[in-house]
Amino acid sequence: MSTTAEGRDAVRSRDRVRSVSVRGLQARVSVRAARGDRVGEPPLLLCNGIGISLEALQPLVDALDPDRGVVRFDVPGVGGSQAPPFPYPIAALASWVGALMTKLGHREYDALGLSWGGGLAQQLAVQSRKRVRRVVLVATGTGMLMVPAHPRVLRIMSTPRRHRDPAYAATVAPLIYGGSMRTDPARGAALLHATTRSGPKRGYYYQLAAMTGWTSLPFLGLLRQPTLVMGGDDDPIIPAANPRMQAALIPNARLHLYAGGHLGVLTEADELVPVIEAFLDEDRG
Amino acid sequence: MSATTSVEKAAQDRLHAVDGDTGTDANGREDDGTLSTPLDMLLSEASRSPLRRFVPGMSGVRMTAALARRPQRVVRRGLGLTADLARIGVGRSDLAPSEKDRRFAEEAWSRNPLFKRTLQGYLALGQAARGLVEDAELDWGDGQRMGFIVDNLVEATAPSNNPFLNPKVLKRTLDTGGGNLLEGGRRLVRDFATPPRVPSMVESDAFEVGADLAVTPGTVVLRTDVFELIQYTPQTPQVREVPLLVVPPTINKYYVIDLAEERSMVEHLVRGGQQVFVISWRNPDARHADWGLDTYGQAIIEAMTACEKISRQDRTSVLGICSGGMIASMLVAHLADIGEADRVASFSLMVTVLDQERAGVTSALLSHKTAAASTRASKEKGYLDGRALAEIFAWLRPNDLIWNYWVNNYLMGHAPKAFDILYWNADPVRMTAAMHHDFMDLALRNALVTAGESTMLGSKVDLGKIDRDTYVVAGIADHLCKWESCYQSTQLFGGDTKFVLSTSGHIAAMVNPPGNPKASFQTAPENPADAAAWLEGAHKVKGSWWDDYVAWLDARSGAERNKPRKAGNAAYAPLCEAPGTYVHDR
Repeated sequence: MSTTAEGRDAVRSRDRVRSVSVRGLQARVSVRAARGDRVGEPPLLLCNGIGISLEALQPLVDALDPDRGVVRFDVPGVGGSQAPPFPYPIAALASWVGALMTKLGHREYDALGLSWGGGLAQQLAVQSRKRVRRVVLVATGTGMLMVPAHPRVLRIMSTPRRHRDPAYAATVAPLIYGGSMRTDPARGAALLHATTRSGPKRGYYYQLAAMTGWTSLPFLGLLRQPTLVMGGDDDPIIPAANPRMQAALIPNARLHLYAGGHLGVLTEADELVPVIEAFLDEDRG
Repeated sequence: MSATTSVEKAAQDRLHAVDGDTGTDANGREDDGTLSTPLDMLLSEASRSPLRRFVPGMSGVRMTAALARRPQRVVRRGLGLTADLARIGVGRSDLAPSEKDRRFAEEAWSRNPLFKRTLQGYLALGQAARGLVEDAELDWGDGQRMGFIVDNLVEATAPSNNPFLNPKVLKRTLDTGGGNLLEGGRRLVRDFATPPRVPSMVESDAFEVGADLAVTPGTVVLRTDVFELIQYTPQTPQVREVPLLVVPPTINKYYVIDLAEERSMVEHLVRGGQQVFVISWRNPDARHADWGLDTYGQAIIEAMTACEKISRQDRTSVLGICSGGMIASMLVAHLADIGEADRVASFSLMVTVLDQERAGVTSALLSHKTAAASTRASKEKGYLDGRALAEIFAWLRPNDLIWNYWVNNYLMGHAPKAFDILYWNADPVRMTAAMHHDFMDLALRNALVTAGESTMLGSKVDLGKIDRDTYVVAGIADHLCKWESCYQSTQLFGGDTKFVLSTSGHIAAMVNPPGNPKASFQTAPENPADAAAWLEGAHKVKGSWWDDYVAWLDARSGAERNKPRKAGNAAYAPLCEAPGTYVHDR
């Protein structure tokens, strides 16, 4: 028995990848249990960008307080999660994520949404207002009604090709992600490709479809949770006007604009994650 | 106690259904093995729609033509059927289903005149339809195909499958006020919305990998693009020096050898004092289309190197299972070719077919044209979907794997029972296009049998050069890898081979934990060229072959030494706990 304990201590990563069935769908989740004096605190739920699996969030997770509990998951049809039989609206996904967190045993949690996942986080915040304690929105917009990206960017975003073809990813990364990817496009390709599990293409299109016709604009005023809105000044997908608008409309929000691109929170995690940490820990005595 | 036993019995029955291990099928006909399913045939059929299997095509044309030439026989059949139906109508027929046919076990089928007549009419029609195929006297290939289609149609039209004709279903519909059909309809929609489009044999949340399956403690010590290597934590104070590397199949998840506790081969080996390492293949997708045999062979070398470095040895025992066994065999031959045969301490094969030459089945059902079409289809997509294999496999045994669950899940509205092997079975792995192509190529040319016909990492493969001690296991009722074909491996290897014939089929032969009082296996001191001659000379040993295997390994795994204190080493630092991350990729 002692060997087992020693072996486990030696394991570098505390993330435990599991396969959990929620409402008949197998989801791949990665759970890092809280430890130290953070045991009992709500964990941080990470809602990922479109078409990428949970590994892509590793730089962000690594920069977080190692004692903080973290939950990541692959959206159905993406990465290692099973594709649902039919397309789903974002509200159904939010409800499914709620069921997932219940299954994992978390009554209350903080939600961080990156890009596409920011839409999910906003929906989750309004739908489960008792359970979502704090909200962090990173490089995300308000859905259909937002300051749109350049059509060229939208065209690239309309297919999952950049997740499947590393050479293509390297070409388009500076154009769509901006920030430090402009000077180092290979980084974008590496970030999106090397670690990403690729599900069926259907999963990506379901994600696109989920956001069709959805907008958070009408309900942003209803959000009660303390919210941190973050955005980059060189983000071709989400022009900086969007986070400004969100921060203005959400009653209990503050804005943090940074110099960088769409995936800044991953590429410059060491600079940006402390901002998130400070925000999440505001309630701590 | 009795409850447990009956659950176990039911589970065993269902496992046998998957394995094709009933000995007799649901119709009670003695199973003569005509429907054995070689792996390569599954692979070639998998990229075609299952519906296409039921289009008679030219076989149908030839059958119609053949019958047209023999009108008197058709007339005789028709008259016979009419007479049968007339006898049934007046209640004088003694047609009855086989006693073993579970579909018609309900008393109403024999006592209620209405149901009895329905059933007898069905039996008479089925007999006539099957008779027509015989009458046509088709050649062997067309006969197989038409027989398959007619059998499927006859089985599909069984009154037990019809909610209005099955007394059990009617009774339940009354009892639940139709709730069973509502629940069943919901299940039907869910099952058929996504592939595999067959009734699910187990609920998708019946088990959780890592929580109640694949739970033997261990650590992932190496992760490459292709695989994760799990080092299992020793459970004995002393372990054998030489590590054992398990190469699992590439078309299923590895945890078939690490099912629930007490049913896990890995656990058994670890408790037997072995240092066990297992490869967990990645579930590849379109981006990995060009991973072929060489990629997987190279992966095995990387894994062997890791085993050797971690255990500070210069050799490893290798155990290959099913398709993993094929790759491992080619790799061991490659090592022999480059003069590194010493790296392999011993070699074991489980339910693996290397010699694919067998009585005509392949020639009848696996044509070059089908194979080419199939590899072309997977090339376009980048991979072969494991769920397509599951569909094909289910339709080859429709009574056990489709209609049985059709009645249970949809008509009765019951949830399928939780059974670990069926859960594993429903969790397949994709096969890359290049691998699919390579496997089909090996099968069509039967290339492993002749030295130099295939290559691995630049070596011409000559299995005769494998001069290590080998341990070969097969299952006597294995429909996927017939034991006679597995046996042929003993003739191919150059070293000393022990062949063990387990009871049961493909999976149950492998999952054979000790403790079952009925467990036994056969083995023989000599390996004559003919499998039948081997069987004659074989003697029966009581107990599971797992124990025999541990003893065999012990003799070839060097001395005992203290167990390692930690998993991995400086170069192979622990990454995460078993079962790792790749096993969770759907």
